[in-house]
Amino acid sequence: MSMGIPEIEDADCLLCFGYNGADSHPIVARRIVRGKQKGMKIICVDPRVTETARISDIHMQLKGGSNLALVNAMAHVIWEEGLTDDAFIKEHTKGFDEFLKVIEKYTPEYAETISHVPAETIRKAARMYATGKPAMILYGMGVCQFSQAVDVVKGLANLALMTGNFGGPSMGIGPVRGQNNVQGACDMGALPNSYPGYQSVTDPQIQEKFEKAWGVPLSSEVGCPITHVPHRILHEKDEKKKIHAYYIFGEDPAQSDPDLAEVREALDKCDFVIMQDIYMNKTGLHADVILPASAWGENEGIYSSADRGFQRVRQAVKPAGNVKPDWQIIAEISTAMGYPMEYKNTEEIWNELIDLCPSFQGATYEKIEKFGGIQWPCRDKSMEDRGTPYLHKDGIFATKDHKALFYGTDWHPPVEMENDEYPMSLSTVREVGHYSVRTMTGNCRMLRNLEDEPGWVQMNPDDCKRLNLKKGELVKILSRRGYCITRCLPTERVKPGATYMTYQWWVGACNELTDSYLDPISNTPEYKYCACRVEKIEDQEWAERHVQELYADIKTRMGIDKGKGDRS
Amino acid sequence: MNYFVKGNPDLCIGCRTCMIGCVVAHEGKHIFEVDPDSYTFAPRLHMVKTARLSVPVQCKQCENPACMAACAAGAIYQEDHRVLIREEKCIGCKACMDACPFGAIDLKIVTGMTQADGSEKKTANKCDVCHNIPGGPACVRVCPTQALRLVTEEELNDDAQKKRMEAARKASLALSAQNQDENRKV
Amino acid sequence: MALKQVQTTCAYCGAGCQILFTVDEDANKIVEAAPAMGRTNEGTLCLKGHYGWDYLNDPQILTKRLKNPMIRKGGKKSPLVEVSWEEAISYVAEKLTEIKEKYGPDSIMGTGSARGAGNEANYLMQKFMRACIGTNNVDHCARI
Repeated sequence: MSMGIPEIEDADCLLCFGYNGADSHPIVARRIVRGKQKGMKIICVDPRVTETARISDIHMQLKGGSNLALVNAMAHVIWEEGLTDDAFIKEHTKGFDEFLKVIEKYTPEYAETISHVPAETIRKAARMYATGKPAMILYGMGVCQFSQAVDVVKGLANLALMTGNFGGPSMGIGPVRGQNNVQGACDMGALPNSYPGYQSVTDPQIQEKFEKAWGVPLSSEVGCPITHVPHRILHEKDEKKKIHAYYIFGEDPAQSDPDLAEVREALDKCDFVIMQDIYMNKTGLHADVILPASAWGENEGIYSSADRGFQRVRQAVKPAGNVKPDWQIIAEISTAMGYPMEYKNTEEIWNELIDLCPSFQGATYEKIEKFGGIQWPCRDKSMEDRGTPYLHKDGIFATKDHKALFYGTDWHPPVEMENDEYPMSLSTVREVGHYSVRTMTGNCRMLRNLEDEPGWVQMNPDDCKRLNLKKGELVKILSRRGYCITRCLPTERVKPGATYMTYQWWVGACNELTDSYLDPISNTPEYKYCACRVEKIEDQEWAERHVQELYADIKTRMGIDKGKGDRS
Repeated sequence: MNYFVKGNPDLCIGCRTCMIGCVVAHEGKHIFEVDPDSYTFAPRLHMVKTARLSVPVQCKQCENPACMAACAAGAIYQEDHRVLIREEKCIGCKACMDACPFGAIDLKIVTGMTQADGSEKKTANKCDVCHNIPGGPACVRVCPTQALRLVTEEELNDDAQKKRMEAARKASLALSAQNQDENRKV
Repeated sequence: MALKQVQTTCAYCGAGCQILFTVDEDANKIVEAAPAMGRTNEGTLCLKGHYGWDYLNDPQILTKRLKNPMIRKGGKKSPLVEVSWEEAISYVAEKLTEIKEKYGPDSIMGTGSARGAGNEANYLMQKFMRACIGTNNVDHCARI
């Protein structure tokens, strides 16, 4: 995020795009609610009536998969009505004229035909955003999990650039990162194209720096994105590029990735699968080796929050069992393979890495302890450099000439559209009380009791009536790739023809249905759109029994003896 | 006057932290140690979501409780600024559920209590404003957006006073605006 | 009962909330979680922050906590057998070395973890893939 989370509530206008804070980050949603109380205007773009939509001034309930058409139309209105910040455009940006050529055809009337949002509403929203100062954009997976994702992110950045909404507090654009340390995994270079600190693997000078620090020659070739792995195992012809070994650390692709049937096939066909985790999970059923790690609550270290904040995690309890911290397991394997790694604690590792990353260099353990956290960039180790609350101060961007580039592209529809056989659309969303693949929260008593298998499919009441479905009834939901059973939840908050499911259930596993089409740049799958069909199950008693049997069976495979909780 | 907890839909984000907070407060901390199926997860407030509304709904602790009037077993009584249910007296007749205009009462299985035939004992279940629970209503304490608040007699009076002041201020503003208009005309 | 308090960062989303755990040191158990005054959470927590810690004592509700290294000694589909750390580490090292020698470093893929492990472990994982294996095949679930 270019801004800090506390700054959200002080924006004059918030454009909340494909981001449902109430379910994914309640404590960020709290800032939106507080902003509203302070008089912040809210424009919400979401196909569902989310909690933010509910308190918004304008809710554009667009048809799923029409994001870029709507964003381009907002840009069109801002230009057409002369609401641009011309001084900012002139001084801090490039490529505006080329961008105008792209957005020329995106009149609100044209966008209405794609997004189903009335042209007049688009106009009002564009005016509200362009005239609010400071105006902030927050976006989430409703932008990123489409085959056209990066283009929309750039589209949102265009809106902020053309209205001069960069360079001060409570403005800019903020991808609110989902998992607790997804920002940190990126910061640390767990990416195929960059070393820690966003330093490119293809830059010879950077490569040389890391070669010198690590004492070995390094590859300058960009690596394999995680979403290419099934393909690289199953279909790659070149033996040198085919994935023969897969070291899976703290992830559960057999639950979280799209098209699970394909993922299972890939894991079974991969020569050697290592799983390093805290709990048995679905990936573990296909692993050749399992390495048990200590968990959150037992570990020391640092996480990065979504707004670039380095904060300490501390040990509350000592781990039971024969487990080791993740870093220690990796270091031991490396040492056994002839590349010694010896560290006494996480601080030693941290000190090594910050000295390799100019943006993190000043963020020492001492300062993180003393100030409670440090938002990077923090370049100087002196106690005076306390980090950076918001980026691009005074419109200075992290490019060579410090100017931001406008980048316009045309909208295209999602890859798999509704058809006669699969007449509805499916989007995957979040369950507020469960985290990720739920190996942690599913083992927390309160959270399990609040929501448990097989989860829900949210549907418009008209669709439920048409299919003769009642609330709580078990239904079968199918796509070209698979099916699962879940419960029907009629709600007026979703539009007719659209369905929504959360992705952490085993029985109601929506990723059996999702497809693995990717955005060409980010390689993120199109979780937010595929075609599906909902079928009524006549024999509900059988269905209830069947769900219980399926659930008990998976639990048994996960090592739970009675298919039930421990009664001690 | 009876106290009650009130939810504010402008602040509520529908997350249901309040519902868990309620169960933890009433069951006790041992529930973090036991089989989650060994007791009834029975929150005394419920999240209601409509097309444009999210808010937890719970007992309003009425001054003239319809539930109390309807209870043939004499299990419902008022004490300590709230309406309470004597679980041991409740016969599970559901008359209170029927009588409550807010849907604030449901039935719960009482953990560890069985009847003569060995079947589970079920009783009426509703908000007791965390009676005898230190720190006051748990839902109010745990809500991340401060969407719930405890309303006491004093607060209600303060609120009413504020509203009267506001009404008076508006009336005087309207009057002075009118006077100004008339002055201009002159 | 010796009680201590430990402040940490919540592991359940990118908001980075600060939690204050009360820990029973003798029983090695968390007793309670309370919101702390963090920069982003200012003394508030959501349901996962308040009630998301009791998975730590292996309640065996959904899945079993992994407590020992395990290997499928009879190949794919054979049962997992508990082994010592020495055996597990040397087995992994041998197999990865064998695959690297046979097919080259780009035939091995590793992941970082966006979840509980923390930044230091992620740094070491990418260093391991890049410096020890010799490939940039490292990624994590930011994409998914």
